[in-house]
Amino acid sequence: MTDFSQALSAASSGMRAQAARLRYTSENIANTDTPGYHRKTISFQAEVENGRPSGAVVTGPVRLDQSDLATIYDPSHPLADENGNYDGSNVNLLFEIADAREAQRSYEANLKVFDQIRQMSQGLMDLLRK
Amino acid sequence: MYESLDLFQTSAAMARHAGARQALVAENIANADTPGFRARAIGAFSETYQANAVQAMRTTRAGHLRADASPSAARPVMTDDEPSPNGNSVSLEQEMLNGVEVAREHSRALAIYKHALGIIRTSLGR
Repeated sequence: MTDFSQALSAASSGMRAQAARLRYTSENIANTDTPGYHRKTISFQAEVENGRPSGAVVTGPVRLDQSDLATIYDPSHPLADENGNYDGSNVNLLFEIADAREAQRSYEANLKVFDQIRQMSQGLMDLLRK
Repeated sequence: MYESLDLFQTSAAMARHAGARQALVAENIANADTPGFRARAIGAFSETYQANAVQAMRTTRAGHLRADASPSAARPVMTDDEPSPNGNSVSLEQEMLNGVEVAREHSRALAIYKHALGIIRTSLGR
């Protein structure tokens, strides 16, 4: 059974990591028009337990994308400087949508594996039934 | 009848093997987006079983040295797929394929076990 429980924990860690990624992606999309917003990114790392890789995945710390903010020309904006420009966010919607789509695909793959493991252990339990 | 308990051992080893393979598939898919992660896999049960059969020693008396008769656990090996630019070599399609193959191997092992159990039950008259 340890193989199954290890597999289940790996699959659930994958789903947790992809969900966290999707969360930051949606935060970025929600703040596309927020002046001065830097997009958030997280990294994935293989989890290490007692010096050995456990097979699960964990998310690293949240980092802010330090690329340049978009300069938007709007003299009527309250934050505009003497030239009529203000800093927008550095969110690129194209990146965010692609990222969200990839997270969704990986989440589905993990879910499918989880279901498959569940069915396999269910088959094992059925042997005991009669 | 006594020798055919071998059947139980082999099918149980096959189911255990499928479980170990499934664990690797789950790990690979969980780490499908981890930079630098190398995919690992175990070969099919038939390969492991054949490799074991070659190493088995002949015994003619009970006191002779004997290798463990039950098929041993196979070692996972890194797949030699081309890694993507971030160093990750997991291919989701390949893992899906492996997952289905493992599930079939597992249900086959369980079916063999179940039928062997049925034969023993019948011979006991239950």
